[in-house]
This record gives sequence, structure tokens and C-alpha cells, in this order.
Amino acid sequence: MEHVWDFQTVFASWSLLSQGLFNTLKLGLLTLITGMFFGFFVGLGRYSRSSWVNFPAGVFVEVFRNTPALVQIMWFYFAFPIISPFDIDAFAAAALGLGLNTTAFCAEIFRGGIQSIHRGQWEAGKALGMTYREQVWRIILPQAVVRMIPAFMNRVVELMKMTSLASVIAFGELMHQAKTISTYHFNPIESYTVVALLFFLVISPFAFLVYHLENRFRK
Amino acid sequence: MGYVWEFGVVFNQLDLLLAGLLNTLKITGGALLFGIPLGLLAAILRLSTYKWLRVSVGVLIEFFRTTPPIVQLFWFFFALPMLSGIEMDPFRASLVTFSIQSSAFFAEVFRGGIVSIERGQWEAARAIGMNYLESMRRVILPQAVKRMIPAFLERVIELMKTTTLVATVSYADLLYQANNIAQSTYRPLEVFTVAAGLYFIVLFPTSLLVKRIERQLAKTGEGTVH
Repeated sequence: MEHVWDFQTVFASWSLLSQGLFNTLKLGLLTLITGMFFGFFVGLGRYSRSSWVNFPAGVFVEVFRNTPALVQIMWFYFAFPIISPFDIDAFAAAALGLGLNTTAFCAEIFRGGIQSIHRGQWEAGKALGMTYREQVWRIILPQAVVRMIPAFMNRVVELMKMTSLASVIAFGELMHQAKTISTYHFNPIESYTVVALLFFLVISPFAFLVYHLENRFRK
Repeated sequence: MGYVWEFGVVFNQLDLLLAGLLNTLKITGGALLFGIPLGLLAAILRLSTYKWLRVSVGVLIEFFRTTPPIVQLFWFFFALPMLSGIEMDPFRASLVTFSIQSSAFFAEVFRGGIVSIERGQWEAARAIGMNYLESMRRVILPQAVKRMIPAFLERVIELMKTTTLVATVSYADLLYQANNIAQSTYRPLEVFTVAAGLYFIVLFPTSLLVKRIERQLAKTGEGTVH
């Protein structure tokens, strides 16, 4: 069986692909920012001494870390609208699922980073008369953030890959556009190959950065 | 808004969900069966002294680590059969995809483990007359494997979560069954919640195990690889 490669039809659909790429980046960026923002608070919450704070935070993190992201997205798309007073479209469902998933993973990164800082640093802050917030902002975070960078980069890689799951609920990101193009032009080989390469081009620089940073930190 | 939860309809079809869970475990197990040896081979090739081999295997590993598994699955399911004439059913396509995809991740775990063993161990093995394969099998790997256990289990958890993708090519895993039941009973809220719960029941104990082993290894002063 000889296959004649024909990328013409894929490149002719360039407007679909670029729109998909834009949507992939939009979903990825939005969920990354919200995930890091809320993850910070959940991470601090898990570190809290009050069990009213750390227990729910712990449950939240474990539930979202130990169930598949696709199930989370489908839950928000098919199940959540029933009890939600708002309309949920594909983008909102994907953003909710991936956003909360990223929040849980980022919370663990923050917690790990904060925990890696020696207790004495907290005590030194307190000895200088700093409040809890000042200790976190001025002493703990500046030291912890450096150690967390590779883990966050890794999250970016995983998250960008996970945005492709939104294609299952027909959100028009890159993978969904590939499906559309391949059904329209009967060219699954070329369209999925092109999309795989596009993902590789977008994501591999981050993976390379992780590799580079980890090597540097090891020294 | 008073929504009346009705889990009865889901529990009536629990056997379907459990059959789906079994298929999820089947794909996960199958992918491990092929992915682990393949990953070990890829790690050894990536540590080869030949630069062209090292680089080309490295690129291949990175490609499978940094492209979304759903793209890979669709490629193996729709594109590969047209290219090669190999017949693909959903099970076969899923098995091939996840074996290769997880082997790329396992390769990195193996590499991390092997590299973490001190040079002196290699030299000692050579000094008593072992060749490369013998030193790897008898000296290096037995020590490296212990340090890899947490990273390895972490990968198994990720793998099982990733296998939900097989539902998109109509392999009857847990998610696929849940979707079907949700459509036939009009109870997506209950069905998807129970399905998520089933995944959690399997994955959470595994996560706890990872943490326990990590703590134990830390106590004995043994390093772990990530």
C-alpha cells in the first residue's frame, strides 16, 4: 500500500489551524494563571495548622489529582450544568476542569516549595516582628519560588498537553480542528501529523527548559 | 434550585461500570507490560556512547513526552492503518499508543535511576570481569530500581488517568461506559460523579503508597529519582 503524502489540503485549512492554535493557547494560558493564583492559596491552606482549613484543602487537592482530567472536563460539561445556575459552554467547562486540576497540582508545588524552606527561616521572620503575611511574602516565597521553577515548567508542559482533551467536548482547539479538517478532506494522516508537530513546536521549548534548569540546579 | 439526586439508576448499572473499570485496568496493565521493557531499552540506548544513537533516541522520547496522548492515539488509530495496512481496532490502537507513550516516560525514570548510581559501581563490576550487560543486570539495576519506585508508581497513576482517552476511540473503558449510561438514563450528574469516584478509589491508595515509600526511602537515607 503506497500512500501519497499530500499536505496541500492541510495547509489550505491554515485559518482553521491558526484559530485552533489560538484557542489552545488561550485555554492553556487562562488555566495556568488561574491555577497558579488559586493554587497558591490552596497550598498555603494545606500548610495551615487549623484543620478547618487544611482538611478541605487536602480533600480538594487529592480529588483533583487522583481523578482523570478528561473525567473532570466531562463532568463539568455534562453533569455540572444540571446543578449550576449559569450556562456552561465547552470553553467554560474545559476552563473549569483544567483550571481546578491545575490549581490542585500547583497547590502541591507551592506546598512542597514552602515545606522545603527550613523552619528557622519562619522563626527568624517572627523574631524580627513580622506578621504571618510578611513572613510568607518577604522571607519564605522569595527562597521557595526559585526551587519551584522546574516543577512549574513541568506543569506548563502537562497543561498544554491536557488542553487537547477539550476536543472531546468539541471546543475548537488544535486537536478539534484537526478532527474537522480530517473529516472534511479525508486526510487523517496529514492533519494529525501536522497537529502533532505543532504541539511539539509549542511544548518542547518548555520541556527543554525544564531539562536545562534541572541540570543547573543539580550543580 | 432543587435537584433531586437519584443514584439508584447508576447502581442498577454498576456491573457495566465495573466492566469498564476492568477494561481500564486491562489497558493500563497491557501498556505497563510492553512499556516497561521498551522504556528500559530506550533508556539504555539514550545512555549509549554513540552520539547519533543518543540524540535520535532522545528526540523520539521527547516527541512522545511533549505531544498530547490524544493526538498520538488518533494518529495510531486513524493514520497508521492507512499508511501501513495494519488493521487497528480500538483495543490494539490504545495498547500500541499507551505502550509507546508510557515507555517514553519510563525511559526517563530508568535513565534517572541508572545515572544516579555512582561511577564506582560500574568500575567495581568491570574490575571483577563483568561485561556491560552483566554489570547493568547484576549491579546497577538492582540498586537503581529501588530509587525509581516512587517515580515509577507516579507514572502508573498518570498512565491510568491517561487511558481515559481510549473512550474517544470507542474502547469500552470506565469513562466510555459512564458516558453511555449517562445518555441512556439522563442522569449525567450521578453517573459521572460515580465514575470519578471509582477512579479515585483506585488511584488514591496508590498515591498514598507513593508518599509512604518516599518517606521510608528518605528515612533510610536513600535518594529517590523524579
